[in-house]
Amino acid sequence: MKNPLRKRFLRELKQDFGKYAVIFLFITLTIGFISGFLVADNSMTHAYDESFEKYNIEDGNFELEQKADAVLLKKVESENDVVLYENFYKEVPKAISNATLRIFGERNDINLVCVMEGRAPQKDGEIALDRLFAENRELKIGDSVVLGGEKLEIVGTVALSDYSAQFQNNSDMMFDATNFGVAIVTKGQYDKLDAGTEHFIYSWKNNKTDLTDSQQRDLSDDILKQLVSLRAGITNITPAVENQAIHFTGDDMGSDKSMIQVLLYVIMVILAFIFSVTIASIIEKEASEIGTMRALGFTRGELLRHYITLPVTVTLISCVLGNILGYTVFKDVMAGMYYHSYSLPTYITLWNPYAFVITTVVPCMIMIVVNTIVLYTKLKLSPLKFLRHDLNHWREKKAVRLPKVSFMARFRMRILIQNKVNYLVMFLGVTFASLLIFFGLLMTPLLDHYGMLVEENMISDYQYVLKMPVQTKNEAAEKYAVKSLILDKTDRKLKEEINVYGIREDSDYITGIELQKNGNGVYASEGILEKYKLSVGDTLALKDEYSDDTYEFEILGTYPYPASFTVFISSSRFEELFDKEEGYFNGYFSNEELTDLDSKAVATTITYDDMTKVVRQLKDSMGQMFPLITVFSVFMAVLIFYLLSKIVVEKNATAISMLRILGYNKSETAKLYMMSTTIAAVISVLLSLGIAAVVMRVLYDYFMQEMAGWLTYYVDPANYVWAVVLGMASYGVSAALQYRKIGKVGLEAALKRADL
Amino acid sequence: MFLEIEQLRKSYGTGENKVEVLKGIQLGVEKGKICVLLGPSGSGKSTLLNIVGGIDTADSGSVTVAGEVMQGMNDRQLTEYRRKHLGYVFQAYNLIGNLTVRENIEVGAYLSSQPLDIDELLDVLGLTEHQNKIPSQLSGGQQQRTAIGRAIVKNPDILLCDEPTGALDYHTSKDILALIERVNQKYGNTIVIVTHNDAIKNMADQIVKLKDGQIQDVEMNAAKVPAEQLEW
Repeated sequence: MKNPLRKRFLRELKQDFGKYAVIFLFITLTIGFISGFLVADNSMTHAYDESFEKYNIEDGNFELEQKADAVLLKKVESENDVVLYENFYKEVPKAISNATLRIFGERNDINLVCVMEGRAPQKDGEIALDRLFAENRELKIGDSVVLGGEKLEIVGTVALSDYSAQFQNNSDMMFDATNFGVAIVTKGQYDKLDAGTEHFIYSWKNNKTDLTDSQQRDLSDDILKQLVSLRAGITNITPAVENQAIHFTGDDMGSDKSMIQVLLYVIMVILAFIFSVTIASIIEKEASEIGTMRALGFTRGELLRHYITLPVTVTLISCVLGNILGYTVFKDVMAGMYYHSYSLPTYITLWNPYAFVITTVVPCMIMIVVNTIVLYTKLKLSPLKFLRHDLNHWREKKAVRLPKVSFMARFRMRILIQNKVNYLVMFLGVTFASLLIFFGLLMTPLLDHYGMLVEENMISDYQYVLKMPVQTKNEAAEKYAVKSLILDKTDRKLKEEINVYGIREDSDYITGIELQKNGNGVYASEGILEKYKLSVGDTLALKDEYSDDTYEFEILGTYPYPASFTVFISSSRFEELFDKEEGYFNGYFSNEELTDLDSKAVATTITYDDMTKVVRQLKDSMGQMFPLITVFSVFMAVLIFYLLSKIVVEKNATAISMLRILGYNKSETAKLYMMSTTIAAVISVLLSLGIAAVVMRVLYDYFMQEMAGWLTYYVDPANYVWAVVLGMASYGVSAALQYRKIGKVGLEAALKRADL
Repeated sequence: MFLEIEQLRKSYGTGENKVEVLKGIQLGVEKGKICVLLGPSGSGKSTLLNIVGGIDTADSGSVTVAGEVMQGMNDRQLTEYRRKHLGYVFQAYNLIGNLTVRENIEVGAYLSSQPLDIDELLDVLGLTEHQNKIPSQLSGGQQQRTAIGRAIVKNPDILLCDEPTGALDYHTSKDILALIERVNQKYGNTIVIVTHNDAIKNMADQIVKLKDGQIQDVEMNAAKVPAEQLEW
């Protein structure tokens, strides 16, 4: 015979439809979102991983000042067991409005191209743009671009396999697919293109295919040493494992996946605890019936299974439905978000058993385990205790002594004490929701603030980095020298590039600091100190990636330059330190555009747009996510407040009814019972906001460690106000529903359950 | 004896607050008999019933039901014992609010491999026409009938009734007692009824009077009166 208690499920579902409906909706949407994300992530990661072989992505590249001769290339190939391929490009600043375009010739051997729409260029006068860049620039097939005075027709959009993330420089903190893009033209068109500066990039493929990351780095070091010894004029070398344009996408998709899983687990644990508190309350209400069933011979396990069946079933159905939505609706939304950030090749949706386990089995298991642990403890009481309502797990044996305050205040205190477990779970749940709300509100003002700081603290409107020293007649220009070193920290996976600037002591652009002529004192940009928890007086250890020379600097003070990690020394000290001749320079600061510089001599021109690309890219790719996170968190907060305050009202239904019999009106009754929950809610919101602010700071530091560079941490004061307003509004919704519920408690509740 | 109780002792509390509720109870009940435990409040009758029912434990002494000794049983064994041997009826009916009369009885039937026929039982209980009602639609008497049905449907060896008429009016109480009597006659269960209503003793085969945790008197009732004829 089937357990007749199962017949209660549908009735209980109907009886408590509101509760189960909101939980169902919440879990379904959460799982739908996460499942969609995991499916999209998995399918795209698969396509991305496959692309290494399918599109024959390079194992590394180096840049030379000039085109190398065949003998040199042969030497490199034979001594390092690699095959070299030319991967030259011409970089055209302001090719399309203020965007820089990096143009490659057709690729037939390495770093192959995936045509996303249209076709690849087949003749001169045609160009295919990176799909994402074209989208961001609202360029379509059939449109044209003018380069070096020549009009090229866009015949297709493409994904270049070595540019899934459009990093212009490998040291950039973030890519910028709006102001920087890649494109391909035919070999003939490339050769005759008279625009921009040509960069002589040689990509290599290892003959051995099973090298570890560490071996790849060693190989890169070997190639570097060889090229230095051959005086090949190497300006840059990047093994693929360190190439952000190639690996950033994969790393980001991987870290997103871990984060979203943690988010799901935390949400499910919170929901499981809410369910367990809800069930514990039902168990308390049904103590006599449970005692009787136990007396008749029902086992604890049978009752436990009975009480957790409904929440687990609701979770299971929500998860399955969420997965269906994930595969159908949300997958495309999530894939769209990735396509909006990265220049990925086409993908095929893959059935992802891992995602199914993560989004169905794991949530159900969390629900079962948490509820079993919590409820088994409750059900451990003897049948007699249930029959006598002697549930001392919940009820105090002795009344807690309260201070001599008004009756109303004491009444509310009693309710707070009676429901302390509910309020504790409420606090924990609200803390998590607050953290998400805080994050949702944090990022946009933080990015805006960073952009503002960059603008306020720009050294000059134009900053030129030169390939070779060239003179300008513009008097606004000031010479400087710069050298890129890397932070000498072996525990860092990511290379942290730090620019050492040699500045004139009477500089018009860098003011307010006293640069030393001798000694190892430097002024460091504030971000270095913030990120690496350094203080004035500490030592900053840097090294030259290409020579292994190491340098130790004493931090004399900070300089407000948030755009990049920079240290400032005097130009004479620079010359001495890096063995340069007197008067050496390789850049200009200028508040005016230097029009008389030979473009071939200019390696990079840095403007406000370049410095704030991270702001634009993050806002562009994640801008839609932030309000979504806020809405999701508010929904979660409403759910938590609603479910837990509902328990308080239900638990006290008899007492509420009795108060009504005694003559309290609805409003007075509601005030008594809701005020306690309101106090708990206000405390939860305020306290959790404080915790969220602290935790967010810690998490922010942690995640920024995973990125190159630093975005100054900033919390808009209005965020605190908004977080409180949203938190309280969430409670307000729940309170309004509970107020209605209190009004609906009939007088019969007290009359029927006199035993309570 | 089908039910044998030997030197049963039970106390609550510790130190100065220690109260001895049962002081060496010695009792035997034959199979198929109705035994009424009488006594004032605090006499220990409910505690004795709870120990026999396996929902409370004795400090010392033993209880044997159908040759099965309860002493030393762990929680799982006690549950099995209750499942196998016992039916329980309480003063508060403790029906499951969102199950119908029939389904509440099925709750009991589920625990037995050979439950009684529910339709027949509903007829015996006089609940056939109410079988699809939920407890809140029933009178107190009907609810207690349902509770008896739930207890008896698994055809337990012993039916324990703790003040089964305590919350009912005179006529309804007599109805319920008549039903218990009918169940005993029809199914042959041993029935132990705890009550403080002296008149109920007349329907019993065996009357046990308790006072202050001790048996004051055990009387075999040679002149049983049908429940319907009880007066108080």
